Amino acid sequence: MKLPQCDREQEVVDALRSGRWVSAWGDEIRQHAEHCAVCAEVAFAAQAFQREAELASTELQQSGKGLPSAGLVWWKAQLAARRAAEQRAAAPMVWVERAAYVLGALAALGLAVWKWPLIAGWLFRTGTSATTPRYTTAPEYSFTSDLLHWLAQVWTSQSSSLLLAATAAAFLTLMLFAAYVVWREE
Amino acid sequence: MVIREITVAELESSKVGAEAAAQAFHMDEQTFRVFYESTARPLWSYLSRILGNSTLADDLAQESYYRFLRATLKSEDAAYQKAYLFRIATNLARDHWRRAPHQEQSEASDPEQVAVDDRTAEHVQQRSDLGRAMGGLKPREREILWLAYAEGASHKEIADVLGLRAPSVRLLLFRARQKMLKLLRRPQVTPKSPVDTRNRS
Repeated sequence: MKLPQCDREQEVVDALRSGRWVSAWGDEIRQHAEHCAVCAEVAFAAQAFQREAELASTELQQSGKGLPSAGLVWWKAQLAARRAAEQRAAAPMVWVERAAYVLGALAALGLAVWKWPLIAGWLFRTGTSATTPRYTTAPEYSFTSDLLHWLAQVWTSQSSSLLLAATAAAFLTLMLFAAYVVWREE
Repeated sequence: MVIREITVAELESSKVGAEAAAQAFHMDEQTFRVFYESTARPLWSYLSRILGNSTLADDLAQESYYRFLRATLKSEDAAYQKAYLFRIATNLARDHWRRAPHQEQSEASDPEQVAVDDRTAEHVQQRSDLGRAMGGLKPREREILWLAYAEGASHKEIADVLGLRAPSVRLLLFRARQKMLKLLRRPQVTPKSPVDTRNRS
């Protein structure tokens, strides 16, 4: 589709904005707009929008609120930037904290599985005063209990050095992660 | 409320924080003041008219300056900086519409609201004409028309602000202008010829 266009559209808008349109220097462009349908439309639209812009300025003054001063905006921007910088600085600590919670929970779970026979024995002694079951599936055990027994058997069949190595690896991973986050922020 | 004394160390730390924050900005305070004085009013007018909500325009205008100060600019050219500021404002307005699409319709199209906002009968008439027409336009059409005719931006500048290609701006502007003229020529609004309007101004 070929658009109806005129090379002087921008000139019409500029003349209206600068005030040249209503001055003697604007005669030529006004005469052009009277004979050019595209420029006539542009002039009509531009006048409507420029009146609206003036109206917006008046509205701003009449509303009594006005715009905040440049100094106030600068000061608020400084505060916002400082808050953002603080959040960025605290971000690695938050991540490390979360990772520590997860590792702590995993360590507690591992310990519970590893020492399940002792825990189960203690629970049964305090609960029913029954004899402590050791690696034998009691008929009243639930599915969770069975699972924990199985995990305990698998876990305790490994050497204690493996447990130590796993803990050291987890600790090292956490430290490397923390170091990476700090390095990236810096 | 407990008021405690501020230690010298805290004061120093606060001062250092403010300096660090200022260093994060790409212009100093004096340059910002000059820039703000020249752009705040046009920016507020643009936002208030494309959003149709002056309170929201206040908030988004301030947010635009915060983001502008923290941005990394490619050039120190005033026209580029102004276009960049308007681009931020446009994106904020679009985010607002995305969050609350039902508020896309301009409040300026409501004649009662217009009557409350404006003081003189002539202003009410003028604004109700264009305000109603703008209320019938899509957000992008309002943006493009305002930038072209209220701000006098070139196609290239409009393309930069709205994230479009310059050749697309010509077509979009033409369509938006035709649509606006059609809306303005609806019953109860007397269209003014370019010659008539020229004489009024």
